Amino acid sequence: MLDKKVIKNILDAALTTSADFSELFLEDTNNLDISMSSNNIEKSGNSQVRGAGIRVAKGYQSVYGYTNNVNEENLIQLAKDLAASFQGESENIKFELEKLKVGEAHHIEIDPRNVSMEEKSNLLVKANKVAREYSDEISQVQIRYMDSSQKIWVANSEGTFITDTRIKTRFTVVAIASNDHDTQTGMTAPGGNYGFEFFKKVENVEEIAKESARIAVAMLHAEECPSGKMPVIMDNKFGGVIFHEACGHSLEATGVAKGMSVFADKKGEKIANELVTAIDDGTIANEWGSATYDDEGNLQEKRVLIKDGILTSYMIDKINGKRMGEEATGSGRRESYKYSPTSRMSNTYIDNGTSTFDEIIAATEYGLYAKTLGGGSVNPASGDFNFAVLEGYIVRNGKISEPVKGATLVGTGSEALLKIDMVGNNLKLAPGMCGSSSGSIPAGVGQPTLRISELTVGGRKEEN
Amino acid sequence: MNFELLFKKAKERGIEDIQIYLNERKSLSIKAFRGELDNYSISDSTRLSVKGIFNKKMGSISTEILDDSNIDFIIDTIISSATVVTSKDEVFIYEGDKEYLEVENLFNSELEEIQVSKEISDIFDVEKLALSLDPRVDKVEVYFEKSSDSVTIKNSKGLELNKKTNSAVFAVQSIANENEETRTAMDFLLTNNYENFNLEEMAKASVAEATSKLGAKPCKSGKYEILLRNDASADMLATFSSMFSADQVQKGLSILKDKIGKDIINKNITIFDDPTIANNSRAGSFDDEGVATKKKSLIKNGVLEGYLYNLKTAKKDNVKSTGNGFGGGVSTTSLYIENGDTNFDNAVASMKNGIIITELAGLHSGANPINGNFSLQTSGLLVEDGKIIRPLALITVAGNYLELLKDVTEVCSDIKYDFSGTGSPSLKISSLAISGE
Repeated sequence: MLDKKVIKNILDAALTTSADFSELFLEDTNNLDISMSSNNIEKSGNSQVRGAGIRVAKGYQSVYGYTNNVNEENLIQLAKDLAASFQGESENIKFELEKLKVGEAHHIEIDPRNVSMEEKSNLLVKANKVAREYSDEISQVQIRYMDSSQKIWVANSEGTFITDTRIKTRFTVVAIASNDHDTQTGMTAPGGNYGFEFFKKVENVEEIAKESARIAVAMLHAEECPSGKMPVIMDNKFGGVIFHEACGHSLEATGVAKGMSVFADKKGEKIANELVTAIDDGTIANEWGSATYDDEGNLQEKRVLIKDGILTSYMIDKINGKRMGEEATGSGRRESYKYSPTSRMSNTYIDNGTSTFDEIIAATEYGLYAKTLGGGSVNPASGDFNFAVLEGYIVRNGKISEPVKGATLVGTGSEALLKIDMVGNNLKLAPGMCGSSSGSIPAGVGQPTLRISELTVGGRKEEN
Repeated sequence: MNFELLFKKAKERGIEDIQIYLNERKSLSIKAFRGELDNYSISDSTRLSVKGIFNKKMGSISTEILDDSNIDFIIDTIISSATVVTSKDEVFIYEGDKEYLEVENLFNSELEEIQVSKEISDIFDVEKLALSLDPRVDKVEVYFEKSSDSVTIKNSKGLELNKKTNSAVFAVQSIANENEETRTAMDFLLTNNYENFNLEEMAKASVAEATSKLGAKPCKSGKYEILLRNDASADMLATFSSMFSADQVQKGLSILKDKIGKDIINKNITIFDDPTIANNSRAGSFDDEGVATKKKSLIKNGVLEGYLYNLKTAKKDNVKSTGNGFGGGVSTTSLYIENGDTNFDNAVASMKNGIIITELAGLHSGANPINGNFSLQTSGLLVEDGKIIRPLALITVAGNYLELLKDVTEVCSDIKYDFSGTGSPSLKISSLAISGE
């Protein structure tokens, strides 16, 4: 988007005072979003995001500015304005930009920009039909098709010069089932670092639609979930949102570097049951949270966060790394050029254990089986978390029994990790969107089926 | 971008009518941590949204590429995105209203004149003060953000509207520690008048709230009388605000469907949507479609009076748009529950065995606007015989939002607005289910 020489001039302009680091982030993104509701394609929106962000730092103090006016003169002015926040003479940092490195770890077969709108909208029509045919109780179906191609460039005063293109595809079906008494929702939303081949090789929109409708109808006939403390079995795939919310955020350097996380200064200590090994891996081929480079121009990595219950690594970005005196782990991410990067998760999961799904259910006398989880949130300082159960069942005498709706799980991350007492062998990942100080980014979550010996379940069932 | 050229080329390509929405935004944000600037960020960005009618369907694009070289892509995209639409809803580019409200105070030029050095020294002072108040509060994050927006709407039917808004927010987050337990609390204010920031009060409130939560534990499960504090109530109203959207009603996704003119909640509750309150970016005399906005009661003394409409949904119900067309859909401006006359302290004093809910978490996942049900992680204070006994954490509160509003016994006089401009006074509720131990 900009000439290498121009980029160098901008980085130099940012170092005219005592700052010791400058970085330019350029972005050119195109998003497409087609939505269907009430049996019709309602809207198709296209958005172009293009701009530049400049970061200037001295030690772990940094300033950031962004603009979508990407001409050389304006960017040099922005660089100088940012440099003016630091006092003192220039450090006279000399550097040369490396030869441009091009990210190519995640291969795309069919660029969605080369696929017709008709072919894309046919997917929605097909899914809508299947979801509505599933049952007379399906009263509404809302479908979204999304693809995006984000091209970024990162250059910094350490010589880094990279470009990376992230092509992502996602398909969401929300099915709503109603009768005279209630309305319930079922949702499935797979996605990945794929082009249009996603719909030919990885996912089938009819299956996605059917699964959403199945959940909605099952929950329409479910009873309200009882409340209280009980064992909770969380299924694989999106069940991993518990680790993401309850522990993942607290292992990000954003909180750890300032001592604002329950896991700060706990490296080498036991923070989880020894059955637990947890990993954040941004290198998994074509996975939703993967990329070749992070948004600071470092190669994405595989980070073992917890090994057999012992805390082994945090997720660290450049600036927080300086505060902590540790190397960055390729974890600097941001939604767009409108955000300064910070440490974020990529694809975060609990690794396989040895129990089978059937063994976990059979070993549970009474508890909640959370088959599908919704989103949740956590306070990273206290570790208190919550998340919603979209589809739940009571387990009684080692068997899956009646369906229950409306449950919320609450707990504290540090306690929940220690209370994981069975880990399954059926690891699978699922996509999510994660919001934090550097914006909303795609993050993969995952786990095998696992059991927490005791969690607070909040339901709406009236006490007798 | 030369918009006349865009309009001309669009017409040549068969686009019947076209409208641009241009938003230029400048912002500054700063954060202090341990006497140092932890974040300093400045920005200047412009976003252009264009929509056009092609073969009676609406196509649209949003872009940050503003040079004339992008005009052809914009037109191609409008045509291709209109062509894929199958919905038969009538769509509009609006010629404008005869009259628009005068909305004051959207832009305060004094705010722009305040020097960054003053704002930075203020955040350091607040941090220092907050850290000095209680030894258990050893970390404080102070955040300041200031932004100004300039919006222009222009269309091929001759409409041209402009507005300028600005706002600033101060937030003080205190982190209290005692016996391996950490609790946090944040106090904030959103305004465009710098003099409204009483930074000393904010520091004190934030520290007092964080320390008051130390020692929090669950209480016994059961039904309790509840005092839903103003900030928690505003968060909840914002979560369920889509029930007022005619779009949701028409899709069968609102609990307020077929309820107009009916007594749906307690008589003591009146809810307004008011574009004249300058506390969010949607405030002002017109919406994103160029329709004149107005203040209106949605629920008056418990009776549902109407929904919120944009042009498309209004046409479907054969009514006029209420001026709530924002972001391509329907949205509130400043939605709030009107103040009652109960004093908050008196509301506490008259509780026998109850809970003050001070915070609700996980609203985006634990509350369902389609059926009104919620089950949410909650923090609060246990009250016995009118006295606050101890803090509560890791409990959940569950119910249905309309039922909750039916069971309101007292409305306090302490309205507070959240970041989205949604406001509520504290509400006393006869009973809600709490799950704890």
